[in-house]
Amino acid sequence: MLANTDQIIEALIETIQMVTFSLLFSTLLGLPLGILLVVTRKGHLLQNLPVFNILNGIINIFRSVPFIILLVALIPVTRLIVGTSIGTAAAIVPLVFYAGPYIARLVENSLLEVDPGVLEAAEAMGATPWQVISKFLLPEALSSLVLALTIATIGLVGATAMAGAVGAGGIGDLAITYGYQRFDEITMMITVAILVVIVQGLQSLGNFTAKKIRRR
Amino acid sequence: MIEFQQLRKVYESGGQQVAALNGIDLKINKGEIFGVIGFSGAGKSSLIRCVNLLERPTSGHVIVDGHDLTSLSVKEVRNVKKNIGMIFQHFNLLNSKTVFANVAMPLTLVNTPKDQIKKRVHELLEFVGLADKADNYPDQLSGGQKQRIGIARALATQPSILLCDEATSALDPQTTSSILQLLKKINKEYNITILIITHEMSVIREICDRVAVIEDGKIIEEGTVFDVFSSPTTSTARNFVSTVMNDQLPESIKELIQQHAGMQKIFRINFVGNKAGQPLLSEISKKFDIHINVLFGNITELQGTPFGNLIVEFQGDEKEIARTLTYIQEKDISIKEVNEHAS
Repeated sequence: MLANTDQIIEALIETIQMVTFSLLFSTLLGLPLGILLVVTRKGHLLQNLPVFNILNGIINIFRSVPFIILLVALIPVTRLIVGTSIGTAAAIVPLVFYAGPYIARLVENSLLEVDPGVLEAAEAMGATPWQVISKFLLPEALSSLVLALTIATIGLVGATAMAGAVGAGGIGDLAITYGYQRFDEITMMITVAILVVIVQGLQSLGNFTAKKIRRR
Repeated sequence: MIEFQQLRKVYESGGQQVAALNGIDLKINKGEIFGVIGFSGAGKSSLIRCVNLLERPTSGHVIVDGHDLTSLSVKEVRNVKKNIGMIFQHFNLLNSKTVFANVAMPLTLVNTPKDQIKKRVHELLEFVGLADKADNYPDQLSGGQKQRIGIARALATQPSILLCDEATSALDPQTTSSILQLLKKINKEYNITILIITHEMSVIREICDRVAVIEDGKIIEEGTVFDVFSSPTTSTARNFVSTVMNDQLPESIKELIQQHAGMQKIFRINFVGNKAGQPLLSEISKKFDIHINVLFGNITELQGTPFGNLIVEFQGDEKEIARTLTYIQEKDISIKEVNEHAS
């Protein structure tokens, strides 16, 4: 039994939903964490080594668990938050736990690239720590942050394929259940082609936006 | 205006304590351009960063406008910083913002109304000669232009102190000169006290009123630029002075002196101010029965005063030479015998 067009469209919508919502929530989680990782380190704006070390450790733990295991391990948490552990909405919880710490690391990297001299100038002007972050650190890193989020988004597209394990659906799940498990090569080809187009499109959009921000 | 009292800054590096500042006592007067010169690692960067507490001193006091910064709260220090502008070696502009936004930044931070910001920024850009660059980005500007923007930004909140951290070290000599002229203009027109740290003696000579030489975290020499340049007392200061004064004897002349050691009478004569305008040599050659051989000479201007440096050989009867020396000394002109090391 071959997958029909309706199924593909439905799967596409599910993927877009999962990626969009998990990107939104994991950015809301990862951006502040990434900022904290930068400003609490030694010699920085709000140096606080206990906070830095704890955050650093927690993020490393989440980053070291494979997504498929996180997916299963987080079932109780998912049930607590969404009320169910099955379906598209339920997949978003583990996706956020997966991508949030990842984004935190990417944000950390981007922010560390900002010229320390600019931050020194900010402090010399008498900027408050919040002003240093919002008016100096983030604007200077914006172009790099956009590229980081592009990487995270593409990572999420890949991770949603595994979310099929909790019945979340999506393009990746379609490729596995129809293409791989039922030897439906055509559906597999089509879904992979769609994934390629999505990834290419996201990367181009990211590059374009980053370039526009950098204005060079 | 700015006063350091027993200022110490100790860094810990690899379990070892390194004193960047080791008991600095220094007073910078209102409205003057004060230079601090030293080699890399002498502590000058730490010193200037203590004026706006970018670095907290380990002990001692920094007094700015009568406030002891080390005793103020974080919030109070932030307010004091509004009164202290700072420019940097690498300009430290925001590359993501336009020139206008960069200059406006200190005003934006204190929520200045938009129309006031606009007026002030245009005024400042006009002042530094870059009114047409408001909508450009820093990476479209040359080094000198970037520093002008840095200066405009530092002046935005109308500070009474401007700190210059190696502000011309990344610029070519011509651009350096134009930036120094701009600093001079700022000092004159706004009566802003300027503290400059540099390793370039030419910067000190060109605009400073007073200078301090820093070495190993200590001030080893301090005085008016004229005094330090005309009679440096420490070897470090002498080294710095000689980089711009060109008062060292050429090697060939040194050799000549060494060859004839003890046989010749060679002297260094320093003329200061209007004395440089007197026809001293022709006067003594007429008055005394000696021959004068000029080995080396130059004249430099220090703070608008001519400063001459002449190496001469006197030939003739010893008594006559002694009389000549007395005569010159009576005229209040400095004359010293040059020994075989030619120093």
